[in-house]
Amino acid sequence: MQNITRRDFGRLAMAAAVGGAGVSAGVFPAMAQGANPIRIGFSMSLSGGLAGNGRAALAAQQIWAADVNAKGGLLGRPVQLVFYDDQTNGGQVPGIYTKLLDVDKVDIVTSPYATAMIAPAMPVVMQRQMCFVTILGAGVNTTFKYNRHFNMNVVGDNMKETFAKGFLDIADTLATKPRSIAILAVDNDFAQRAAESARFLARQRNIRVVYDRSYPPSTVDFTPTLRAVQAARPDLIYIASYPPDSNGILRAASELRISAQMFGGGMVGPQLAAFQAQLGPILNNLVNWDIFSIEPTMNYPGVSDFLTKYRAVAAREQTDVLGNYIPPYAYAQMQVVEQAVTRVGKIDQGLMAADMHSQVFDTIIGPVTFAASGEWAHERNLYCQFQGITDGNLERYKSPGAKVILYPPSLKSGTLRTPYGTPA
Amino acid sequence: MTPNLRFWLGAALLALVLFLSLRLLGNDYAYFAGYFVLQYVVLASAWNILGGYAGYVNFGAAGFMAAGAYAAIVLRQALGLELLPGILFAALVAGLLGLGTGYLTLRLRGVYFSIATLCLAVVLQTLVVNWDYVGGSRGAYIVHPRDIPPFTSYAEYLFVVMLVLAILAAGIGRAVERSSLGRGLQAIRDNERAAEAVGVPTLRLKLVATTLCGALMGVAGAPLPYYSGYLNPEAAFSLAYAVNAIAMPLIGGAGTWAGPVIGAVLLASLQQAATVTISSALNLWIVGWMLVIFVALAPKGILGWFRRRP
Repeated sequence: MQNITRRDFGRLAMAAAVGGAGVSAGVFPAMAQGANPIRIGFSMSLSGGLAGNGRAALAAQQIWAADVNAKGGLLGRPVQLVFYDDQTNGGQVPGIYTKLLDVDKVDIVTSPYATAMIAPAMPVVMQRQMCFVTILGAGVNTTFKYNRHFNMNVVGDNMKETFAKGFLDIADTLATKPRSIAILAVDNDFAQRAAESARFLARQRNIRVVYDRSYPPSTVDFTPTLRAVQAARPDLIYIASYPPDSNGILRAASELRISAQMFGGGMVGPQLAAFQAQLGPILNNLVNWDIFSIEPTMNYPGVSDFLTKYRAVAAREQTDVLGNYIPPYAYAQMQVVEQAVTRVGKIDQGLMAADMHSQVFDTIIGPVTFAASGEWAHERNLYCQFQGITDGNLERYKSPGAKVILYPPSLKSGTLRTPYGTPA
Repeated sequence: MTPNLRFWLGAALLALVLFLSLRLLGNDYAYFAGYFVLQYVVLASAWNILGGYAGYVNFGAAGFMAAGAYAAIVLRQALGLELLPGILFAALVAGLLGLGTGYLTLRLRGVYFSIATLCLAVVLQTLVVNWDYVGGSRGAYIVHPRDIPPFTSYAEYLFVVMLVLAILAAGIGRAVERSSLGRGLQAIRDNERAAEAVGVPTLRLKLVATTLCGALMGVAGAPLPYYSGYLNPEAAFSLAYAVNAIAMPLIGGAGTWAGPVIGAVLLASLQQAATVTISSALNLWIVGWMLVIFVALAPKGILGWFRRRP
């Protein structure tokens, strides 16, 4: 390397100073306090792999903020959401939460969407003893054991023994008792937990596992995999997958004309409007895990109004146009915060956590209570079946009947149709 | 005062000023942002040893970094040892990995070498995904202590550790550049056959470079699980590390020890600022455009651009 001359050094220093000034101005913007709002901070995946669900969750949270502000705010103060895009990159999350708490001085923090983004926020949140309501995490607090963590997820705190129970309970109602099951799961946290549950419960019921494989998330061609599943001739096919692979699996199943008494499991993707529009009748008779369906049994107070508001903004915000999956839960996540703050009467993290541990929350997804672990006290995994789907028209998903609930019995809204297997 | 002493004293002084400034600022976010920038200083300096001096473009930076991160996790799981031993172990593991990869792949040149390094990252990711001991596809949790005296917080501790590593990485880069190793690597970059013909031990130098490059990348990755508290394969093998490891030296000026430092500070600061201001979706967009601009207007990076002017 040549030596840097004094003149070069001067130029570099000037460039660094100008660049640094710009960066500092951006990183530490002056925050307008306005009418002393209650500031709620979070990171959300607005780009990257989880952006589809992240954007939908954000739209719901913004609707909640507008609703609360229209009613006069929280504790008489307006609510302001402060959020940053984590790019679906866990490495960004600790920095974002530190900025929210130390620079932006938010009053309350809530979580980004899903385990991989929630977990990196935990150490920062725990360090500052903040109450932390998360959305759709899976077993995050098993390691941290933080008593101010609360998770809005139907799976509860014993996923292994409960997650696939609905699927197998429905299978028990088949005219011919199932004797074999094939399990296929993508290599990620949620899917592996789902597959573990299916494996565990199948063995408990003496259902033979005739195929049990995982595949890497980068898989694009599922034809060989599904041929292998088909060759095992299972009565039940249980898939745990994420959106890109769910699409590939269902298309491959359709092309190979795979048939089984029950096909589905813990597939993430068919809950979303884009899938329903694209796959149309391929979804018919699929029995799949879900968290919400617009059936009369789940018509909790406020949910219809919320969905009307959500659908009015969804196209503009470029999010899931139906909002039948994450959005009601994101809204309910904020309702939990709202009700705790209202009952406590002030922003006190310890008292809010105590309230969340002891009270029932009336939300648009029904009453919610938390166990000591911070997970729901009672799991509520839904298993729904797509029925009567003839095309990709999304209007049918705005009213009951297209995605009926088969499990749990308390929310059941339809009866099982078999077998799965639609023409290509 | 010798130039070497001047460099180390200057670096120590700069580090002290930086540390005191951030402590005066008094919030952990500055430490996290600083950590984010400094990890790229280490990564870019590491990439520069092989890519900048020898001209062997390594697309597998994320793989080596993840190897370091998972080495630290393994050490913690197996022996309960914390970050500092983890960094040493990560250097050892990633260094050996670099040596092995170097031996296997250095008979490949140009784009074939680059593809081989990319394949290495894919192979490592597949291994990690299927290795339950380190969490497999579910990821691994690291619950670190809240405080670590005499530091005011764990974030400050992580920042100081990364600051020291960044200085060491820049110092190693500088030492390589000024040694016969660096001159040999530059000869390889200019014309490998000619270098070999005049007696440069090309294979040996390339093996030293891949080992050093791998070890430093592993060192950059070792604190990652302690920083985020949770590490899964998608995060550890993120494409952003591989892209930034190449873009930063190119923008700063590859083939010089200061180039990767300047590129990393500039680009990582911009990315961090974009994350909390405009939109972090713009991050890779920013990197892409800066690469295009620099390749078109300043192909030798910022340092090269300043030098060509009177």
